[in-house]
Amino acid sequence: MADTTQQAAVPDKDERVREMSPLRKALIRPELGAICGTILVFFFFIAIARDSGMFAPEGIVNWGTVSAQFAIIAVGACLLMIAGEFDLSVGSMIGFSGIIIALMTVQWGYPTWFAIIVAFMLAMAIGALNGYLVIKTGLPSFIVTLAFLYILRGLTIFISIATTRKTIIGGVREVSEGDPLAGLFGGKVLSGVFVWLADLGIVGKFVAGPRAGQPVVDGVPMLMVWALALIIFGHILLTRTRFGNWIFAAGGDTQAARYVGVPVNRVKILMFMFSAMCATVFATCQVMEFGSAAADRGLLKEFEAIISVVIGGALLTGGYGSVVGAALGALIFGVVQQGLFFAGVESSLFRVFLGVILLLAVILNTYIRRMITGER
Amino acid sequence: MKKIVMTMAAAAVAFSGLTAPAFADGERFVLVSHAPDSDSWWNTIKNSIAVAGDQMGVEVEYRNPPTGDLADMARIIEQASASNPDGIIATIADYDVLSGPLSDAVAKGIPVITINSGTEEQSKKIGALMHVGQPEYDAGKGAGEKAKAAGVTNFLCVNHYITNPASVERCQGYADAIGVELGGQMIDSGQDPAEIKSKVMAYLQGHPDTNGILTLGPTSAHPTLAALEETGKSGTIHFGTFDLSSEIASGIKSDVIAFAIDQQPYLQGYLPVVILTNLARYGVVPGNSINSGPGFVTESNIELVEKYAGEYR
Amino acid sequence: MSTPLIELDNIEKHFGPVIALNGVSVSVNAGECHCLLGDNGAGKSTFIKTMSGVHKPTGGRILVEGKEVKFDSPRDAMEAGIATVYQDLAMIPLMSVTRNFWMGREPQKRFGPFKFFDFATANEVTMSEMARMGIHLRSADQAVGTLSGGERQTVAISRAVYFGAKVLILDEPTSALGVRQTSNVLATIDKVRKKGIGVVFITHNVRHAMAVGDRFTVLNRGKTLGTAARGDIKAEELQEMMAGGQDLAELEGSLGGTV
Repeated sequence: MADTTQQAAVPDKDERVREMSPLRKALIRPELGAICGTILVFFFFIAIARDSGMFAPEGIVNWGTVSAQFAIIAVGACLLMIAGEFDLSVGSMIGFSGIIIALMTVQWGYPTWFAIIVAFMLAMAIGALNGYLVIKTGLPSFIVTLAFLYILRGLTIFISIATTRKTIIGGVREVSEGDPLAGLFGGKVLSGVFVWLADLGIVGKFVAGPRAGQPVVDGVPMLMVWALALIIFGHILLTRTRFGNWIFAAGGDTQAARYVGVPVNRVKILMFMFSAMCATVFATCQVMEFGSAAADRGLLKEFEAIISVVIGGALLTGGYGSVVGAALGALIFGVVQQGLFFAGVESSLFRVFLGVILLLAVILNTYIRRMITGER
Repeated sequence: MKKIVMTMAAAAVAFSGLTAPAFADGERFVLVSHAPDSDSWWNTIKNSIAVAGDQMGVEVEYRNPPTGDLADMARIIEQASASNPDGIIATIADYDVLSGPLSDAVAKGIPVITINSGTEEQSKKIGALMHVGQPEYDAGKGAGEKAKAAGVTNFLCVNHYITNPASVERCQGYADAIGVELGGQMIDSGQDPAEIKSKVMAYLQGHPDTNGILTLGPTSAHPTLAALEETGKSGTIHFGTFDLSSEIASGIKSDVIAFAIDQQPYLQGYLPVVILTNLARYGVVPGNSINSGPGFVTESNIELVEKYAGEYR
Repeated sequence: MSTPLIELDNIEKHFGPVIALNGVSVSVNAGECHCLLGDNGAGKSTFIKTMSGVHKPTGGRILVEGKEVKFDSPRDAMEAGIATVYQDLAMIPLMSVTRNFWMGREPQKRFGPFKFFDFATANEVTMSEMARMGIHLRSADQAVGTLSGGERQTVAISRAVYFGAKVLILDEPTSALGVRQTSNVLATIDKVRKKGIGVVFITHNVRHAMAVGDRFTVLNRGKTLGTAARGDIKAEELQEMMAGGQDLAELEGSLGGTV
């Protein structure tokens, strides 16, 4: 008899855990803040800049490219931040990788594909060094990568001045003609589609000069393809694989992760390398598109990446975040930055607007995160 | 959460009020510079386009990459041409980066005038109507010749914008006129006044035989003035600078600065707006590029210049 | 009596000039709950860290099922079947129950050349293992942060049990819990013991120890003050041994036996 009452006293479900409706459950996710922000930003610009060409194909490619740029470095910064670390050397790494490619091709005459591979290997080696130092010294990655922000920037200016007496090295486009890897970064895809769209009158055509008759948008830049590929890769890695679980664990609680056998050091070092790799993708696309590299490229890009990630709902202290959110953060960033130009807003107000968005996003994200994780 | 969305909406409304002028009547031109937000020299150009805009009854927007990153500047030019203005005015801070977006704008049928940085030749290659500026190397060389005549043998070139090729050209021209090879005399001073000042002081301490200084604009000239003042070397070193400001003007009056090379930026902002407006309205356009400078400002003609220094001069 | 699952014989541990452990001997049999009692600073933490492979002992022997072993890392101890649930490092609150449960041992499923985290299996196992311990989750992907302290301990314990722990070391699992949650954790310990797992229960609360303990060992100033079986010793005696002397007994007198 006593046993049966005992059974009855323990209900099947804890009466204090409120049931969540499936809709609410589907909505409450790390990206929610970024999704709301994206919708809001688009409504805002459709309302005030509809007729400015912002949503014509040319305009879309414009802010799409800028967003894609942010997204490429945001994916790296996002995974690294979830793993509990920062990389402030991203911007300097962009300048460094670009100069390496330009120097090797233009100045020293190596084939472009070789220069690109060397740039990637160098960048990832420096990323690994960043990670190694953070782990070995136990210093905050904030400090270690801040040091590399200066080291890399200084080194970049030094080597370009020392070898060419200039800080801008041009002529990469000419020496990269027909190179297999150059097209992978600087080219465009789906050109045929745009010629067809132009013939239909959906996309405008050039009216003067040697390119008259060609569509004004002649393809999707590889930059966007890379961004998309990195977002998909990052998202699957983080949410669908064992390694993704280790990234969360490494950032959530290093010690707890170590105790259950997660190779925290390896995860963190790999994420530093991934971040450096993303910076190099950014740099290579830029160098191949513009045909030149400059020692001051990528200035402050590390903060833009971090801002995108934070708008996307990631926690600055690690262990929580979403690649899709970071990508949406990058989209918001790009749309706002270029959209304010389209809207004709005084450009100095861009920072004000960005600050407001950042603040609102973080407040909203904190609120959502508390709902999910039960933090108090 | 509702509250937050409301706040965001309120912010959105507040901002939409600021954007109304974009769709005023009259032609719309966009001026894209390469200067970071911190560069005060561009105020003169901002003022000049405001004056020209008022006089012509057109609207001129000023755009610049906040950090001075030229790749960002290329995106801004692409954006400008996507918004279909009646004309684009842009600097050619880096031909490789900017020639693509600028010639795309030309191909779209948008008239382009290049100003300030860049050469006439580059401007032609892009397909721009003209270039309004000052040949940098020649201006530097002119400064160097004056310095040489004053007996300068060892010099310092304070470069606050080392990543702009035009700035290196200036130092190069100066060095060539004096007849020395350009090397360590060109320092990368950065944009921060305190930093520039201490770098100049350190250089002068390490190179006591320096008898000539060239600064490339107010950004580097003002801290250099302060550095000379503090080390008691004011007036003992031949000091030439590019561009004008009220501090530079008073430096010239008190004999600390020998001369300022005036590229007359007012014209670089004003003329393109006038020319583009006339092109849009009546289809008339001058056939040649315009050299807005160099003009040398010395003690003899300073009175006239000083009145408007930093504003229109 | 059968061979103990683990036996620590005369363990010494020095940190430079500090002698943290000065000859501690403890053994754990299958299916028993061995309570390790001691006041703060008695050497409990150092001892369990030695047992779980975090520290290497300066002297003494560790025997697992009668064979002498040396643990170079926590991983070695885990492979020998010794699992530790730390008081505060048990769970990562930002991550879901499933992600925590499988952390470091995620099940995978192949998809072409790629391997993915098999969430279907993982969620199912997590839910059923938790139910077995008497905790019914809303869903396996709810964050650990939404669970109570006792539930978190239970997730950690059931995780250790599921992954084949033979000896389970619990570091003060009840110290930060309320009355009801404490009894839940004590009930969990009882369930684990009945599976034939040896439990080392570290606590400084004699009443919690008396509730589930089979044997009791008291540590004081880095030494074992002796081991007693259930029924051979009274709570008051344990309390006195922990305090290491007369002082507390007097204090207890004045407080009316409430300590």
